[in-house]
Parts: sequence; structure tokens; C-alpha cells
Amino acid sequence: MDSTSQTSSKSQPIAAVLLSRAFDPEESKRILAEKIQQRPLFLCPSSPPPSDARAARRREREKKRLSRKKALKPKPLSANERRKLRLYEVPGSGQKYALFEPLHQLWLGYIREILGNEIYTGGEGAASKLTSADFHGAEVEVVRSGCVSRVGIRGIVIKDSRFTFEVVTKKNQRKVVPKEGTVFRIEVPLATATVTTTTEEGQGDDQPLPQQQQQTEAEQPKMIFEVHGEQFQFRSADRANKKFRSHFSKIL
Amino acid sequence: MLSFPTPSVYQASKCFVTYGVMGHLDPNQPPTKSKPWSTVAGQDFINRAELIIPQEAFDVVQKILNEKAAPEFKRVVMSLHDIFSGDFYAEYIKKGDIMMLSEGRKGVDNVFTLRNGILTLFLDKEAYERAGLVGKPDGVKGKRGLKPRWVVEVDLTGPSMVPGKKGFDRLIYASKNALGTPVTWLFCNLSSTVPDPDPFPPHYPTNCTAEPSVLQNIDAVLPTLTPPVDAMGPEGRDELEYFSTDLYEWLSLVRLQSPRVLVGDQIDPYLCRYQVPGDGQQSKICKVTWQGFLAPSWCRQTLLNLVAGLPSKTWFSFSTTTFSKGMAGDNSEVALFRPQGASGEYVMWEIKSHE
Repeated sequence: MDSTSQTSSKSQPIAAVLLSRAFDPEESKRILAEKIQQRPLFLCPSSPPPSDARAARRREREKKRLSRKKALKPKPLSANERRKLRLYEVPGSGQKYALFEPLHQLWLGYIREILGNEIYTGGEGAASKLTSADFHGAEVEVVRSGCVSRVGIRGIVIKDSRFTFEVVTKKNQRKVVPKEGTVFRIEVPLATATVTTTTEEGQGDDQPLPQQQQQTEAEQPKMIFEVHGEQFQFRSADRANKKFRSHFSKIL
Repeated sequence: MLSFPTPSVYQASKCFVTYGVMGHLDPNQPPTKSKPWSTVAGQDFINRAELIIPQEAFDVVQKILNEKAAPEFKRVVMSLHDIFSGDFYAEYIKKGDIMMLSEGRKGVDNVFTLRNGILTLFLDKEAYERAGLVGKPDGVKGKRGLKPRWVVEVDLTGPSMVPGKKGFDRLIYASKNALGTPVTWLFCNLSSTVPDPDPFPPHYPTNCTAEPSVLQNIDAVLPTLTPPVDAMGPEGRDELEYFSTDLYEWLSLVRLQSPRVLVGDQIDPYLCRYQVPGDGQQSKICKVTWQGFLAPSWCRQTLLNLVAGLPSKTWFSFSTTTFSKGMAGDNSEVALFRPQGASGEYVMWEIKSHE
């Protein structure tokens, strides 16, 4: 199809006039004919695909943007929505200390495995391994705090968020302890305290045996370490790869 | 202190002079609320008490002092946890009336005091944060929120301070974990009865008695011992000031057993320009000193006995000094002087350190 725009007065189209200003008459006539009057109008512009590099890059960019938009749909929840949906709340029936005891035992095994021989020597090596360890299931006790009412809280960690530890105490209470300005103490008993008893002897022997077990628990050597919450304010997932440098501490 | 604002830098001790008249002393109802008696009884732990009398009155004083036994106190090594446990707590603290002071200086170490059933802990920042007891910041206010030292006050006579209750359990936790080191305490039993199964022996206390030590026949030059006549009114303020300053200086020199107040003292005025004010009257005087862990109620009672027992023609001076407080080691003091004459007048000096 021809696409021409004609002015009423001039005999020549305005494009020809302009072209004749820039190019010599033959050239201008050729350009007018090939590129303007007989310009091809593609019915399907993108097929065959343009071999132009610029267009190819542009296509890539567009495709990426669209796919990223798709990934965010559905959008991640805002903090208010999360709170309303109560995704991270532990229901009343779930707040039992006894429920988390096996988790604690699992955690003890996990920590002993991580520390290996460092559990006997302690010091720098143990510290670097512990910083990247996960603390869900650890039994922590608040030992020192800028807010004095927190001192003495003791329980199993059920959630380790960026700024707080959520803890279930022996009295089945869920307490949220902020990490700022607090020092937590964690004890890891060295050997497993299970005493396998043979029940062949009968009832009479059961009574003195639990006493023995209690005695061995109290005398058991433990590895005790203290965690400064101020330096620990990272989510447990982020902490795995973090290099810890010693920072000036306000409380010390 | 009177209503002065708390200073932010060290300030020297201040001396307050009172010139007044003691009311009539009724032996059945000893006075507690009026001026010289309430000041003496209002001090906390008293370290030293001194009495200066003319030599003639010494026999009378000897008789008065022999009526009552010398004050006794104990020195014991215990940890704070021992105070809260078992018999000691039930007998002495809950039922009895005691006074205890632990070793250390208040601005520097962790000091614990127990008086009138109120346990006060003076802690530094780490001990306070580890203890977990609620307290108030101690010392200089301001300093951009640093709050390096804390005071915790606990009333142990309350009904909730019983093993099993939450508040008391927090105390026990603190005494086991943060404040668990055994320290040396001075202990004084204010009541006259000792509980029968005495809970003390497991801690091996050392019993000490503050026997009066007497220095007799000091040949001294006396200053003017009568207050100026118009000292009561507002015009006589300056005179009262001079008189009281001179007299206090002389009394302090006698207490220090300084040779400057002795008869025939000749010292080069280049070394010391002190001269006993007044007309240079010479007399023999006598000084009695008690040193130890004394109760302010004992001091008040002794003062009462002296005022009642000594004839009004003798003058005497009685002073009590507390234990030193704070980093600078200042202590506070109350000194009283009763001039001769029947009017029952007295001059009292209260030295208060700023802490």
C-alpha cells in the first residue's frame, strides 16, 4: 500500500521536498520510492524474529520482567497480614514443655555432633562452630540483662527470629525474650544420661535406680557457654554463613 | 541532707550547728523525737563514740557506764545466701532486730547493709544486671544514661518475703548466682534476747566487745566553755559561729589526742599557729572511747544516761562517728556539747558527707 501525504498546494509530496534538500535528486527519488512510498507494512512484526541485536536484548529484558512479576504473584505477606493470619503463633495446646523435650534431646545430639572434640576443649574453635549452629530446641537461661525482670527466664527455644528468642518455660508459658542487651547461658551435658536397666530383678530394684540416675545427672560434666544476644541479632538462617567480628558492646 | 540538689561533682562535707535546749527528761518516757535524740538515733552504723569530761566527773561516769554492759557485736564470714536460709532468716531477721554491714566501700565494691529489716544492696552495673532485682540508679544523675551503679532495697519484714513466694525466690536466685561470694559482715543484735537454738555457730562468728578505752588526767588548756550570751537571737549569729567553730576545733583536737591542747605546749609558730582560744584556763580532762560496730540506739541511750546522771555543773561532750561511705571515705558525725549550768542548753554539730 502506498502511504502518501499530499499537501493541497504543492505538486510534490512534502517528503520529497525535504529529501531533495538533503540528497541529490536521483537519490531522493530512490529513497522516496523505496523507503516511504513502498514501505512494507508487516502484518506479523515479530516473525520472522528480528536479527537485530538491540531488538533481541530488548526482548530478553521484557521476558525477564514479566517472569519476575509472575514470581511475586502472590505478593509476600506484610507484617500486619502475617500477624493477622497468625501463622507463627503456637496454639495453647502446643505450648507444653513436655512436647519440646524430645526436640531438646535432638538438639543436644546435634550440638554434640557439631562440636565433636571441641566440647572438651572449648574456646575459639567451639565458638566459631556454635555461631553457625541453629538454636531451635536449645534450653537457654537468661543470665544477664539490661531489663532486670528478664533474668532467670529458662526454657526451650521454639522460634529464633532476628531480634528475639521465643521460649517455652517449664510452667508451659511462652515467653518472648528480646536479644538486645541480654546474655543467654546454654548448658550441654557431655555424655548421654540414659541408663539402660534390666528389669529382670523386678520391682524392688526400680526405686534405688532413679536415684542413681539423678546423681549422675548432677555430677555430669557440662559444657556451658554464654551467648551475647546483642551480637546475635540475625535470623538463624542468615547466621549460618555470617562471619562474626567482635563489636564494641554497650553492656560490657 | 536538707533540700539541696544532688551534686554532680564531689563536694566537701557540710557541718550544721544547732544551739538549743534539751527538754525535761522523764526517765519513764525517754525522748525520741526531739532534736538531739533523733539526730543521734537517726544515723546508720556507728563506728566510734567518744566522751570528753572533766576529770572530777570521771567517777560518776564510771558508775553510769558500769550499769550497762559494753556493746557487743560479731564479725562473721557469710554469703548473702546464708542470710536467707533457714534458721538465721527465721530467727534473726523475721523475729529479731538486727543490724548488719558487709565489707567494702560503697562507691567501689558491692556492699550490702541490713537495717530495720530493710536489706540494701549497693551494686555495680554487672552485678545488678546479673542479679535481676529491681533497683534505682545510684550516684550522679545524668551522664547520658550510663547509670553505672545501682541500689536495690528490699523490705525483708513484709509478709511476702517468705520462701516460696515469687519475690523472695528472685532474691534467692540472685544471691545464689550473682551475689554468691562470701563476704565478711559485722553483725549487731539490737534486741536483748538471743534466740535459743542460736543459728550462728555454723558460720563461726568472732565475738567482739567494744570496751571503753579511757585516757585519764590529760592536762589541757580549756577554751571558753560558755556559749555567748546573745547567741540565741539573730544578732548573735556571728558570735555563735565563732564560738562553735572554736569549740569544735578544740574538741576535735582533744579527740585526736593532739599535743597542741596540752599545758606547756611550745611549738614553733612557723609549724603550727593554733592557740587555744579563751583565757587559757587549765584543767584535767578525761576521754572515753568506744570503737566497733555500735548501734545508734545504744548511743542515744548512753547519751540519755549521761545527761540524766551527770550533775549540771559539769560540762561534757559526746560524739558519734559513722563508718566511712563512698569512694572518698567521708563519714558523718554528730557531736554534742553540754555546757555547765542548769539550763539544759546544748550545742550540736552534725557533719554530713554529700553521699
